[in-house]
Amino acid sequence: MAGLLEIKDLHKSFDGTPVINGFSLEVTEMTVCCVVGPNGAGKTTTMDLITGRQKPTSGTIHFAEEDITGLGEHEIARRGIGRKFQVPAVFRELSVRQNLEVAYSKQTNALKNMFVFGDAAMKRKLDEIAALANLTERLEVEAGTLSHGETQWLEISMVLMQNPRVLLLDEPVAGLTEGEIMKTARLIKQLKETNTLIVVEHDMGFVREIADVVTVMHMGTLLAQGTIGEIEANDRVREVYLGSEEH
Amino acid sequence: MNLYHNKLAQWAAYGVFFAIIAAVPLFVSDSFLLNQLGTYGVYGLLALSISLCWGFGGILNLGQGIAFGLAAYGMAMTMQMQTQDPESNPIPPFMLNNSLEQLPALWEPFWSTGLGITLALVVPTLFYVIFGNLMFRARVSGPFFAIMSLAMLSALFTIILDMQPYTNGANGITPPQPLTILGTPLDPYGPATYWLVCGLLIALTVGAKLLTQSKFGLLVQAVRGDAERVRFLGYNVAAYETAIYALSGFIAAVAGCCWVILVQYVSPAQLDVSFSVTMVIWAGIGGRLSLLGSMLGAFIIQGGQSYLGDALLSTWLLGLGAFFIIVVRFLPKGLAGLLEMGLGALSSGRRPKQLEPADRANAMAGE
Repeated sequence: MAGLLEIKDLHKSFDGTPVINGFSLEVTEMTVCCVVGPNGAGKTTTMDLITGRQKPTSGTIHFAEEDITGLGEHEIARRGIGRKFQVPAVFRELSVRQNLEVAYSKQTNALKNMFVFGDAAMKRKLDEIAALANLTERLEVEAGTLSHGETQWLEISMVLMQNPRVLLLDEPVAGLTEGEIMKTARLIKQLKETNTLIVVEHDMGFVREIADVVTVMHMGTLLAQGTIGEIEANDRVREVYLGSEEH
Repeated sequence: MNLYHNKLAQWAAYGVFFAIIAAVPLFVSDSFLLNQLGTYGVYGLLALSISLCWGFGGILNLGQGIAFGLAAYGMAMTMQMQTQDPESNPIPPFMLNNSLEQLPALWEPFWSTGLGITLALVVPTLFYVIFGNLMFRARVSGPFFAIMSLAMLSALFTIILDMQPYTNGANGITPPQPLTILGTPLDPYGPATYWLVCGLLIALTVGAKLLTQSKFGLLVQAVRGDAERVRFLGYNVAAYETAIYALSGFIAAVAGCCWVILVQYVSPAQLDVSFSVTMVIWAGIGGRLSLLGSMLGAFIIQGGQSYLGDALLSTWLLGLGAFFIIVVRFLPKGLAGLLEMGLGALSSGRRPKQLEPADRANAMAGE
């Protein structure tokens, strides 16, 4: 089975300093691929390159057999790649409900959206996702007043409202309590039934829980790839990452 | 729940406002006063346009005089040409004084009243679409956009001032007769003209209010909060910014047309930087996040200017400055925000805002 997302020989440098150095990755549909690596390994930059926030210096990115290298952020998002940011990015001045409504992006045309006043399919989906993320009671409050855990879940819910084929989650459990982490892990396993996920995460316990494939990045390139067992047994990985970073 | 956020209560407040402004000619018999109140409708339109663009769209626009002024010139040209005769007297007097022997091609379309008014509305709107699209696609935003709009306004001001033979420079254009529509002259001091301006204000306010409640309205507010995030949800942010900016320009263009109908005069003063900044002050004081608040802000400031300004002279400006500083410092949402807080305190007895600092610290600790 061909990969849903295929990254080939990606390079990116900032002012001549290489950050991504010939990174390649193939993500199979309906799997969870975890990307790990020490700080500065290029994980978030890779996310930026996939979602169009940065343009690669060279290399290609294919999504569902289409070349998406160099497209704008909104064009890539429309093709079905949703992203949750490392620092939770929600609209703080809007209510939780409005945040979810914004994320429902079936109709993206500015002129047509002037005549959209709520739509039944959207409301059903909103209720469903709010229930999944335990936000039903919080729908009317301003998103800026949510706790950190709720904000993380709101942003994951927003990505779900978008209904993407691939979800990129950048540190979805950073700053969450043990209980919230377990809940997030359960949610991700449930999502795997219908979606493909790429998760950047530092928490190895969480990675062990959810990952089908683990990709280790180091100095902007692929250091190792395999199941969590294989990765934990890999000497080079232990050297650069697990030994020094696990806490 | 805070009554301020109740949609039905909001519409009720707008309904009361509309009823009051529409009833004014029934109680005002002084035609000069009625004409002056009509110009307040123009200020209301301008405040409405700033509230949409700055309040909802987050686009601080210090050059709203561009649309207002261009439309005012278009309307003045239309009215001027209504008094010219193609056979015996085809050239406006000021052009003859500037030794033009032929009507400039720029003026030809204004022989037709319909085409003239259409141009007065379409040209500024199209200008906003093109200028906005150029800026927003290059992701120019915030103070940088404000500076660009200011620069563009100053450039237009200079061009109009400089093109003396075509625009009559600093003297401006003073059409000798009121606008005639379908054979009927619109007396600028009569109730019909007041109701025309009032009707346009009501219709555009209702349209703008509906717009803010649509999905589009929600999206421009999201763009105001975090444009970057909106892009990753699949929306073309530049298209949304251009649309709200151009719509606000259209409303300002309608205001420009009404202005000339009421005062029968246009000059580069309508494109003066200080007037465009004044529009932003109205919205800032009244409450830029509220369409109604912004309009009332315009009425309060301009009313104060007309009545207190004459009595207090420069003390008025000092007072206005102090008032503005107080509002910006203590009421970032303007006078409408004061009402929101008041109604919020009434409905709950506590202010949810007070939770915020603790939560922000909480969120930062998590990162």
